[in-house]
Amino acid sequence: MPSVTLLGQAVIAGVLIGGLYGLLAAGLSLSWGLLKYINVSYFALAFLSAYLTYQFGTFNGIAPWWSAVILVPAFFLLGVLQHWTFMRLRVTELTSLVVTFGLAVLIESLIQWIWTADFRKYESGFSGLTSKIGPFFVPTLDFLALVSATILAIATWSWLRWTYVGKALRAAAMDPEMASAFGIDHRRLSFLLSGICSAYAAVAGIFIALIATLAPSEIGTWIGVAFAVVIIGGVGNPLGALLAGILIGFAESVTMAVTQPAWAPLVSFTILIVLLLWKPRWT
Amino acid sequence: MLLEASHLNIAYGDAPAVWDVSLDVDEGEIVSVIGPNGAGKTTLINALAGLLRPRGGALGIAGTDLMSVASHDFCRHGIALVPESRRLFAAMSVEENLDIGGYRSAARRHRNESLEQVYALFPALRERRRQIAGLLSGGQQQMVAIGRALMARPRLLLLDEPSLGLAPAVVNDVFAAIGRIHRGGVAILLVEQNVPKALEIANRAYVLEQGRIVASGAPEPLLARAEIREAYLGFAN
Ligand SMILES: Nc1ncnc2c1ncn2[C@@H]1O[C@H](COP(=O)(O)OP(=O)(O)OP(=O)(O)O)[C@@H](O)[C@H]1O
Ligand SMILES: [Mg+2]
Repeated sequence: MPSVTLLGQAVIAGVLIGGLYGLLAAGLSLSWGLLKYINVSYFALAFLSAYLTYQFGTFNGIAPWWSAVILVPAFFLLGVLQHWTFMRLRVTELTSLVVTFGLAVLIESLIQWIWTADFRKYESGFSGLTSKIGPFFVPTLDFLALVSATILAIATWSWLRWTYVGKALRAAAMDPEMASAFGIDHRRLSFLLSGICSAYAAVAGIFIALIATLAPSEIGTWIGVAFAVVIIGGVGNPLGALLAGILIGFAESVTMAVTQPAWAPLVSFTILIVLLLWKPRWT
Repeated sequence: MLLEASHLNIAYGDAPAVWDVSLDVDEGEIVSVIGPNGAGKTTLINALAGLLRPRGGALGIAGTDLMSVASHDFCRHGIALVPESRRLFAAMSVEENLDIGGYRSAARRHRNESLEQVYALFPALRERRRQIAGLLSGGQQQMVAIGRALMARPRLLLLDEPSLGLAPAVVNDVFAAIGRIHRGGVAILLVEQNVPKALEIANRAYVLEQGRIVASGAPEPLLARAEIREAYLGFAN
């Protein structure tokens, strides 16, 4: 057994990485639940955003917050464009997984072509920042990722829950025909939502650039966790995705601390399978 | 004339369901459409609500041509539908369902007033406004479906078999509510299998069989016809 301090440190690291999982899974969760597109291209888009943040920061001297100002709206537009294309091509819920997987592979190849398959690390100058709380170290960037993820998740959840547009999106996901009978133009709203999903990928990517080491092959390793997060958190529920992200991050990190790092990838799937068998009310 | 439909043809793919149907509803009227199972009543009323687009014919409301109006704009012209089998947004609360009904911008401005009207009409919904709509009883769900349509502040309310699957006492409540809505100045087009009720409340009625209108007029002369009494009330004399 590791020491209490070590375990506490593992818990902190896990909870913090959960914020990043939540950010990364939000796009898939929202588009699956409300647009009926199982869109896995958001993971590749997140890495595109990460590489661009790295590129801007390393070669153009653009600080990450300025990258955010550029990338978030740019990715919003990219999401709108993507949705427009999917509608033109009549992509359905069934074909969406295949189409977006293909798109993800394409983006991955593009990244590999531009930045090669080598590992890249964005030296932002903030990587080493930590605060000390009692005996524990809290890495500042990871903490910032969790705070951003929390703010965005609460904002998105409230927007879906309390506003007319949010209610309309949920209603249209259940019965688009009846929603349209009451004046809901689902097409227009779906552009807005797909933009938001893609903007989430941009935010996730900026934090991935700041926190993690980049390689095109890393995209695949995040997809499994993100799927687990989406399903555990409840499809279409941004707050659920964050909580599930934190749960998985916590469980992975504690598993790594008490057993071996090699077991960590199994954690999310074990939790997923247990929850699918147990079927709690919220999934 | 409020609603005017003439020579409508409506089909599912290659299978025609309604042929050459002409029908109108004036301000202040309750008009019933009766007919056997599969006659095309739901097809017709869904087309009037913009859910299905006719292949041919003309459709207009208060002088506006609806044939070129987008489905989601029908409600802006004062049409609201209470669909067959209710089709609530089952996972949403009662009040969220009502808010969807009042989604169009002109209706939003009167949200609180409309909510009060709906809750005055169906007091049971006020106490259940936070409950999940899909978990209510059949009668309460029908009230939500009617309330949702009223939130759109329609000039013409389309009702597709509002008594379907309800206990007789609840059917009476629903028809009483329809009467009150009508007295509040809303024109009503009612599709019903419950022919005695549908003809009792109506000013005029149409009989739809196999996709065609086979008879129409005031309820009394319709009921004076032996073949209609036999087909819809089960006795000829
Ligand atoms: N979605 C659909 N696709 C294909 N055919 C349909 C569809 N809906 C209805 N039909 C057909 O159209 C015809 C009219 O059906 P419709 O539901 O309008 O009848 P109805 O008068 O409402 O019947 P009921 O009293 O059972 O509700 C029927 O022959 C039916 O099989
Ligand atoms: Mg029907």
